[in-house]
Amino acid sequence: MNSIRINKKKYTVNVDSEMPLLWFLRDHVGLTGTKYGCGVAQCGACVVHLDGEAVRSCVTKMKRAIGKEVITIEGLSEHGDHPLQLAWKDVDVPQCGYCHAGQIMSAAVLLRERLDPTDQDIDDAMTGNICRCGTYSRIRKAIHHAAELQKQKG
Amino acid sequence: MRAEKTTIDRRSFLKAALLAGGGMILQFNWPGAIAAAAENNPTESAPFTLNSYIKIHPDGKVTLFNPNPEFGQNVKTSLPMILAEELDVSWDHVQVEQADFFPERFERQFTGGSQSIRRAWPVLRTAGATARQMLILAAAQHWAVSADEITTDAGILYHKKSDQKLSYGDIASAAALIPLPKNVKLKAIADFKIIGSSKRNVEIDNIVTGKPLFTSDYKKEGMLIAMIVHPASFGREITAIDDKAVRQMPGIKEVFIMEPVLKDYKKNGFDVFTYEQVAVIVGNTTWEVMQAKKKLILQLSSPTGNTRNGKPDFLESTARHYADMEHHSTLPAEVKRRDGDPESAFKKAARIIERTYTAPFLVHNTMEPVSCFADVRADHAELYAPIQAPEFITTTLSARLGLPKEKIKINLARMGGGFGLRAYGHHVIEAAVISQKIKAPVKLMYTREDEATYGIYRPSYSATYRAALDENNQLIGFHIKAGGIPETPLHENRFPAGAIDNYLAEAWAIPSAITIGAFRAPRSNFIASAEQSFLDELAFEMKKDPLDFRLELLKRAKEKPVGQRNDYDADRYAGVIQLLKDKAAILARPAGTGRGMAAYFCHNTYAAVMVDIGMKNNEPYVKQALATLDCGIVINKDAAINMAEGALIDGIGNALYGEQLFMDGVPLKSNFNTYRMIRMNEAPEKIEVHFVENQDNPTGMGEPLFPPTFAAVANALFDYTGKRYYKQPFVKQYLDENKSPVI
Amino acid sequence: MELYKEKRPLGKIRFTVTLSVIALFIIGFVSAFSDETNYAANEEIYATVKKDSIKSVEAFKKVYAVLQSPRCVNCHPSGDIPLQGDDSRLHAMFPKRGVDGKGILTMKCTNCHQTENTAGLKTPPGSPEWHLPSATMKMVFQGRSAHELAKQLVDLKQNGNKDLKALIAHADDGLVKWGWTPGEGRTLPPISHAEFKEAWITWLTTGAYAPTQQGLDGSNLKN
Repeated sequence: MNSIRINKKKYTVNVDSEMPLLWFLRDHVGLTGTKYGCGVAQCGACVVHLDGEAVRSCVTKMKRAIGKEVITIEGLSEHGDHPLQLAWKDVDVPQCGYCHAGQIMSAAVLLRERLDPTDQDIDDAMTGNICRCGTYSRIRKAIHHAAELQKQKG
Repeated sequence: MRAEKTTIDRRSFLKAALLAGGGMILQFNWPGAIAAAAENNPTESAPFTLNSYIKIHPDGKVTLFNPNPEFGQNVKTSLPMILAEELDVSWDHVQVEQADFFPERFERQFTGGSQSIRRAWPVLRTAGATARQMLILAAAQHWAVSADEITTDAGILYHKKSDQKLSYGDIASAAALIPLPKNVKLKAIADFKIIGSSKRNVEIDNIVTGKPLFTSDYKKEGMLIAMIVHPASFGREITAIDDKAVRQMPGIKEVFIMEPVLKDYKKNGFDVFTYEQVAVIVGNTTWEVMQAKKKLILQLSSPTGNTRNGKPDFLESTARHYADMEHHSTLPAEVKRRDGDPESAFKKAARIIERTYTAPFLVHNTMEPVSCFADVRADHAELYAPIQAPEFITTTLSARLGLPKEKIKINLARMGGGFGLRAYGHHVIEAAVISQKIKAPVKLMYTREDEATYGIYRPSYSATYRAALDENNQLIGFHIKAGGIPETPLHENRFPAGAIDNYLAEAWAIPSAITIGAFRAPRSNFIASAEQSFLDELAFEMKKDPLDFRLELLKRAKEKPVGQRNDYDADRYAGVIQLLKDKAAILARPAGTGRGMAAYFCHNTYAAVMVDIGMKNNEPYVKQALATLDCGIVINKDAAINMAEGALIDGIGNALYGEQLFMDGVPLKSNFNTYRMIRMNEAPEKIEVHFVENQDNPTGMGEPLFPPTFAAVANALFDYTGKRYYKQPFVKQYLDENKSPVI
Repeated sequence: MELYKEKRPLGKIRFTVTLSVIALFIIGFVSAFSDETNYAANEEIYATVKKDSIKSVEAFKKVYAVLQSPRCVNCHPSGDIPLQGDDSRLHAMFPKRGVDGKGILTMKCTNCHQTENTAGLKTPPGSPEWHLPSATMKMVFQGRSAHELAKQLVDLKQNGNKDLKALIAHADDGLVKWGWTPGEGRTLPPISHAEFKEAWITWLTTGAYAPTQQGLDGSNLKN
């Protein structure tokens, strides 16, 4: 079956299987939180979770995504209260805001794998996400803060 | 504490009106729009037509409108904070909405040149204070007491004598009928509660949950997707297209050649159209049109430059650019300022120090590639546009579409970055012309490559500095000769003009077919990097502390200024440097790093930077940074710090890595795989930002810290490597000089 | 002024084939196999081995030129960050090897590298199972001399316990073969895959002799 689960909802895929997941999400499903930044896997604005991995949806074709579980920024938490989302607010991270869906989706995988990420972990995990406005020091701060929130939540 | 009285432009006046269903709205009206406003009687209209600054709802909630386009500088939060302060409401009761482009009701809807806060300050304070005064007057009538006895706090009116209170919402409808008071008293600075605090970005919930905020997210029923294909080479034009293959492709509706502006149209300064014609492909979905783009074949003319249009008749390349700039620096140039007798000073100098600095073209690389939605009908048009300067593009749009300005509605969408690029609205015109031609709503999307190769770059520059020293190693003459492609970066009246008796400033320029535009203070960011590197080297050669040397020059400029037109306040300039010096003294330089400092004044704000450079992955990077700023009163403290951090990181990234290269007119870097951007691991691990505390009127934060950052990086590289860095981007020079071992 | 080449000396290896060739005639040859246990594991294949040091070293010259081409060396870096481009610079965004060679955290190789090359210049190349050698078997090519690499390739402790049969089979590994279909804008290894495979098998089945390093262990002749 040509189906895909996006944010826990099932969709039938009736587009060219060569189409990148990014454009399926944006043009066909109407989930525009995932952004187009470069189209060549360089900037990370399009990061979504594909079976839990932080893939770049701009180069991930539908033929790879079919049958898999996709989580986008819209589905990261039910009420916008993922520790990273809360931390992003507390630290007031964004400037233009365009890259942050991708930043948060990348950071979510980092935080899942490292409960208490070091600065080196943050470098290793977040260097693939460009922020043209230069909010990197706030992103770093927010990830540390989110780790604290996650611990408190238990 | 002084109470500051501010009046707004006499041509304008405030107008209050009842909201349908109660409450009040306070709006500005401007001459020429009175008729339109009358037609549009706010008391009978739906709320969406009531865009202006303040809307007070019966339940006490307040809607404040942000007039200026937002692209990350946080005006959508900071400007309403000014209104809320003077209105005296609790920030918790405020909701902010983005105003559409509506020049009749908003004084200035332009974001650029670091002017939003500075220019809005008197207007928004007056608007807020006027609304508050009307609420007081209405309450005075209601209670039959003197207005002087009424106080306000957090959206509540108090008459303490009679122990009565009313919420703003209770009295707003009555307040709307009060004649507009004149010469309203503004709050004393000491009484500010909101201004100077830190308020969270009003859009933060939407950003972190991925809500549609940007033009590229916009969708309307029946909307088609359009993309352009422009020539690959500056200086060439489309002569024909071969669209046979494209027309066969799925989802493709139309393919044609479009002229964004007609030949006889008199362009304004923001009408930058790199090409006379672009090819257009319209289709159902983004992916389909993207695929079709690859199959479209363009035929291009030979170089269109000639003596009449003043552009080169050859295709430009970077090697030739640099060779030409080197040659031009030796030719006589236009004298822009001469103080004393610089020629004699250099003749009798015991020693002359001469250095030349160069920088490449830079691409803005806003995170959101540009897009624009347009729905153009026979008698009206509606657009969603990422545009910093809507007032300029509307004129061009109106002429091109043949529609009166008031029939064109522009919704100001949040922009995924601007940095000056979005002041140029070629995309707005293109989207509208496409929609008009195909008679359907359309969203124009640029790919990253389309945008990065379209031009409107920060120009390539070169500046030669010379200093004449006497036998006592004292500075007796100063000469700057600066030029670029296609404009000079020279600001002849800026520091150190005014501090040196014998001073000469000359300018030159080389024509080019490559289009240029605003880029976070394009001339300033280059000239600051050159000037502040040169002053650093000069101080070193004169065996002086580099900051003390600058302070010494500023002292001279204050006590006995040379010339009349010096574009800086020596006291404030010295103040920001002194603060940097003090803060740097207590911020330890990490082991194994080199330290560099620089300062600059432009766009009304004084800025100074210190960076400590170390090594990571065999390349220099800034480990720690410190900035000091004098931007007068700080409106939204944490947001201002965020802007400062961003300007620093942007400056570091562009200084180390930024460059666009050309071969036969073709821009060679079109995406992030070749155009290197600063990333998380290359950003400073620690940044400190300090503000000079004073009560001067607020000035902007967008540009001013960016320019001196380049020079601080160059000066720190000298401290770290013992070599001066004259050519941007600096990492290139570093790697050329330091063959790295394999890691 | 070389403005058009993105020049980054980092990680650039200048292999001096000539040096090794000279060395081989002056000093003689040494088999890369430290002992013959790996032959012993596969009697059948071992039986095909006909020791011929001159033929073997000649074949390895070709093998080495391929292994030092950017298509091969880029994923066999000396550090834990892969290389990229024909100039073998550090991979942008500095992805790390990880224990299994498949990257770490958000930067798993296959988060960007698909099962096939992505269209366009300088876009992520792809192949099924795109990865680096694992942390326990790094199989570094970058900076290795011909002598070092020859010994390392057949050392069971360093080659992931690959015996002769497995080594021969490795010439047809999908990721190895990708080197000859690397996508637009990437130079190919100096010889075809068929020529490489032939040289590889010749080298292995003629005794896997390693070119000696001048003045180093020429006396360490075992065969």
